[in-house]
Amino acid sequence: MKKSFTLSMLLMGSLFAADYSSVIENPSASEIIKKDLLAPAKVYTMPTGCITNDPKAIARGSFIFHNLNGEKVKGKTPEGLKKKNADGTYKQYGNCVACHNIEGAKGAGNIGPDLTGYKDMFMATGVRDNQFVYQKIADPRIDNADTHMTVNLTTKLFNEKEICDIASYIVSPK
Amino acid sequence: MKTGIKIALSIALLSSLSFGGEQFAMSDADRAMYAEMLDNNPADIMVESGSELLEEYCGGDAGLAKFLNVSEKDLPAYIAGFPRYLEEFKMVVGIDQVLQALMHKNSHKPFALKDGKMFDMVAYTKSIANDVAINIDVNANKHMKEAYALGQKTFDTKRGGRGLACLSCHSPDVIGSVLRTQPLPDLGAQNAGGTWPAYRMTKSSLRTLQRRFQGCMKNALLDVIPLGSPEMVALEVYVTDKSKGQAIAIPGLKR
Ligand code: HEC
Ligand code: HEC
Repeated sequence: MKKSFTLSMLLMGSLFAADYSSVIENPSASEIIKKDLLAPAKVYTMPTGCITNDPKAIARGSFIFHNLNGEKVKGKTPEGLKKKNADGTYKQYGNCVACHNIEGAKGAGNIGPDLTGYKDMFMATGVRDNQFVYQKIADPRIDNADTHMTVNLTTKLFNEKEICDIASYIVSPK
Repeated sequence: MKTGIKIALSIALLSSLSFGGEQFAMSDADRAMYAEMLDNNPADIMVESGSELLEEYCGGDAGLAKFLNVSEKDLPAYIAGFPRYLEEFKMVVGIDQVLQALMHKNSHKPFALKDGKMFDMVAYTKSIANDVAINIDVNANKHMKEAYALGQKTFDTKRGGRGLACLSCHSPDVIGSVLRTQPLPDLGAQNAGGTWPAYRMTKSSLRTLQRRFQGCMKNALLDVIPLGSPEMVALEVYVTDKSKGQAIAIPGLKR
């Protein structure tokens, strides 16, 4: 009884009412987007000992700056930096070079400012300091609410130590 | 393709390629292949196959016109206004969803929206409107207004692993700057609304506009949202409106 009722409803549906909303694909995306939203801008204080001359830290920072993700890396990664995450997925790197030129960059973009000579131009002149660079990479919205730059700590793409590695690379002599 | 469009397209392409220099990913060999493909778009054959599919499953142009309650003569101009709100669907729909409903009506199991056959069929169907100016009306009714607003919101919303929005790379102030060897396109001026479905050289396949959106989402680490979702259709409304008034030229040809 129940079955035939449903069947006749279905038939009626297709014979009379022109309502195609149920026969086409129209999945909702709102949950996917909601889970994926960016958290509000956050102020960060640079951890102690963050900016360093340690060549290994700078090598990691440089690697993160110039590479997209572990999947694309042909050779080795620097000591202390993996190609994969604990869950087996490939690790994402910064791909900063997509938007910024810097010493030795290949195929750099120009959406963001050129970071070549950063130490002499911005640090030595006192225009910028370590804390500024750390905050900019961690969450650039604090300094510029409408920025087009990526958010790297608030998104948990990187951890504090990795932000320090990247910042150390940018302010290092090259 | 009409000669006029072809020439317009090649000028647009050549000017976008004329940046030159090794900074850009396209080599001279690529450029030559591009020029060759302009005369002989590999997707022409897919559009042809889409025409046959439309014939088989939807009764061809005539069957589609009847389903949409327009004359065959008015069909091109009508197609140039999609996505549209249709009462029979109670929502704003893309051409692909119309084709799903028509297949269903004709007692065929509809192709999935992501099916290559669907892409072919959409490409043919949109090519019926070739040379016609895009005439989408985002103020036609409250549903279109809502879709436009949802599209804009979806476009502007920052999300994903890097906290980016479509707007981060497609806002007027960054158009023309370079993202890792790729000049950022002006979606409106470059007629994104009128040139998809297009053949993508780097993917060796025909892709729809919504599928192209998914490509940008994936690359920029935004969670990919499904084809045909209200948000996706809304994005198509929003982006298509930017190209309003420009002539439809399907299949497009993209890097
Ligand atoms: C999608 C483009 C984009 C990407 C990717 C990007 N940036 Fe930026 N960056 C910008 C823009 C645009 C600015 C300038 C606006 C601002 O300061 O917010 C900027 C500014 C900066 C500055 C400040 C320069 C100064 O002194 O004013 C630093 C430092 C920086 N970026 C580092 C990075 C690092 C490190 C990465 C990768 C982890 C990165 N950027 C990735 C676009 C980008
Ligand atoms: C990180 C930068 C970035 C983000 C974020 C981004 N795009 Fe793109 N988009 C690009 C670049 C670069 C191209 C050109 C690539 C090429 O030529 O292959 C492009 C191309 C496109 C095109 C094709 C234009 C044409 O007809 O040739 C469309 C449509 C598009 N993007 C829409 C979107 C939408 C919608 C979103 C958000 C969901 C988005 N993009 C997010 C960088 C981005």
